[in-house]
Amino acid sequence: MSLGFIQGVRREVRQMTSRRMYLFGMVIVPVFIAIFFLSILNKGLPEQVPTAVVDLDHSSMSRSVTRSLRALQLLDITHYSESYDDALDDVRDGSIFGFFVIPANFEKDALAGKSPTLEYYTNMTYFVPGTLSFKGFKTVAVATSGGVVKETLVSLGVSPETITDVIQPVAIDQFPLNNPWMNYAIYLCPSFTMCTFVLMIMLMTVFSITMEIKNGTSVEWLAVARGRMSVALCSKLLPQTVIYFCVGLFILWVLFGYAHFPLNGSLGWMIAATFITVIASQSFALFICSVVPNPRLSFSLCALFGILSFSFTGFSFPVQSMYGYLAVFSWFAPIRYWFLIYINEALNGVGLYYSRLYFAALLLFPFGAAAMMWNLRRACLKPVYVP
Amino acid sequence: MNVLTKITRWAAGLGRVFRNELRLIVRDPGVLLFFVALPLAYPIVYTLIYNPEVVRKLPVAVVDNSCTADSRNFVRMAEASPSIEIYAYCPNMADAKELMAEGKVFGIMQIPGNYAKCIGRGEQAHVEFYADMSLLLRFRTFVSALTDLQLEIISDITGERISQAGLESLAAGGSLPVKSESNFLGDTEQGFASFVIPGIVILILQQSMILGITMLGGTSRERRRRNGGIDPKEVAGVGATATIFGKALCYTVFYFPLTIYIMRYIPEIFNLPHYGSAVDYLLFIFPMLLSTAFLGLTLNIAMRERESAFIIIVFTSVVFLFLSGLTWPRYAMNELWTWVGNCVPAVWGVEGFIRINSNAATLPEVAPAFKAMWILTAVYMLTALWTEKMLRSKA
Repeated sequence: MSLGFIQGVRREVRQMTSRRMYLFGMVIVPVFIAIFFLSILNKGLPEQVPTAVVDLDHSSMSRSVTRSLRALQLLDITHYSESYDDALDDVRDGSIFGFFVIPANFEKDALAGKSPTLEYYTNMTYFVPGTLSFKGFKTVAVATSGGVVKETLVSLGVSPETITDVIQPVAIDQFPLNNPWMNYAIYLCPSFTMCTFVLMIMLMTVFSITMEIKNGTSVEWLAVARGRMSVALCSKLLPQTVIYFCVGLFILWVLFGYAHFPLNGSLGWMIAATFITVIASQSFALFICSVVPNPRLSFSLCALFGILSFSFTGFSFPVQSMYGYLAVFSWFAPIRYWFLIYINEALNGVGLYYSRLYFAALLLFPFGAAAMMWNLRRACLKPVYVP
Repeated sequence: MNVLTKITRWAAGLGRVFRNELRLIVRDPGVLLFFVALPLAYPIVYTLIYNPEVVRKLPVAVVDNSCTADSRNFVRMAEASPSIEIYAYCPNMADAKELMAEGKVFGIMQIPGNYAKCIGRGEQAHVEFYADMSLLLRFRTFVSALTDLQLEIISDITGERISQAGLESLAAGGSLPVKSESNFLGDTEQGFASFVIPGIVILILQQSMILGITMLGGTSRERRRRNGGIDPKEVAGVGATATIFGKALCYTVFYFPLTIYIMRYIPEIFNLPHYGSAVDYLLFIFPMLLSTAFLGLTLNIAMRERESAFIIIVFTSVVFLFLSGLTWPRYAMNELWTWVGNCVPAVWGVEGFIRINSNAATLPEVAPAFKAMWILTAVYMLTALWTEKMLRSKA
């Protein structure tokens, strides 16, 4: 280990401890975010969606439908409206996310075979509660319809045992693999926490490199490394890598140790993936700094890319369904590969073989950064600060 | 000096601050990036990302153990759904699992060996569907496609069985004794962009404005440090109150054209839900802009340099997105996060704008959010005043 490297590390440690910004960006924000997502999503599924029933029939059958709605864990019937308009007003002012309408003469028409219609309305401007209330309403509507058919068939002399075969000749049993609870936290927490972590790694890396140029200390920085850019960068970034790695381990502990999210594969490979993702994110920021060695531009590019990665890496809307010219950006985001490894390794536990390409892609990032180092060296030798 | 002269003088000072701040904004390319380029470009980029709206043709592997005309009919009906595409027929589950592990299919449909027998005997047949859960949107698409499939098959076979049992009267007209009808409000097509964009654009308004203000603040702080505690580019001889009002009004006015572009034209360009009246949502957003301006001025206390904003502000966009209840409803949050959310102007802004824009609510119907934003304006005005006084006292 060269003397330049050791002196460089000492210099960097001094710098990191001299400003609170480093502690804030490198440790406090990622730790806060990990706790934030876990605590805000701790219910797993936002059940008990506030909804309303509009009972225009007031019969024993309509009351039984209302009872079934109230019995559902998914719904919380908070309003009993007297008309469609009242219920719609409640949707508009946000007190309910959907309502179920039982038409007038419902019982009479149902028994007379006049096919009355149960209508339900869900506010899809809020996806999750909208979907959940839709699911609850549909369950009750189908069950009510089935119940009436059943009664009619029994009264016609069909034996109760064969009724299910008639009403539901084919049942499709659904198995949501590895997340049978449909827990939102399991799929939102890991990706969003890590993506914020990667964003902060990128911004802090840009911060620590471009501040040398801004403050005109880059010449001295290179001098400590005996003029070698690679040594200067290693001595600057490796101490940070150690800190990020510890923060990364903490995040993994929060996810799999504390919250007990599914970890069906190997923890070792998840740790390895996190470690390489840290280095890949640093490399990404270093690459940007080398191409545009100007604080404002490299900060802006990393912030832009880091914030957009939440979207185009497909945590919620799949990359496969995006327009090709946007989906292509996901290839350049380190977090995309971490996310895919997480799905294979932790969620589905399918083995390292299937993640081989993702690991390989993450390992390519440092090479990209190394290829552009010459430009950063040029800028460091003659530091010019453009505000 | 009478009251009138005092007021005129105060207003004149405010005007000078306003003009000076405007000059600082248009001469700073970094601030213009936040104040102009970001609100112009981000809504377009975001909408393009989500513009495919729905997930279609999800690849599925089929393990058909029955290999009969009935089971093939079932698969044909499944493939008729716009959401499902049969990627491959696999001889056994192991092969299908392999395809899923490789990420080539996101669902496996297994038809049991006795499928045709059950159908023929009038018994219930069970088909198994295994769904990959890496993205809930895919699972959701599968669930609704399978429910439709099931209903279709039921109406096919049940009708047949009922008439076999000699109960034609029940199957008359092919209708069930009780029908049901679902209706979607707001985002009627259940598209992803239609759901997420109206909320995101409001967050973009707030975050870009705070970023710009804090960048101006950090730059001014650097000048202060260099000049012994006094910023030479600030207007001298104007009181703290007039200064923060002048600045806040400057930012708010600067944002008017961008706000109209974001709230009125972005939904129109991309054909997103856009029902409410322009008067309602433009009046509604005014206190959000003003309170955001004061919030930004308050946050300037933490900005030691020009680039601080990137580290302190950028990540909060993610936090505010969740606090707004767009992805995770606010009723499911604990009290702490509800209250933190209550302190963020955009949380109210997102809620109100979605209701006006997508649910056609009127201003009175979003009154709670409107009032909350005015309260925040008052609170952040006081905190901004405190920041201004703190910064001055350091001189």
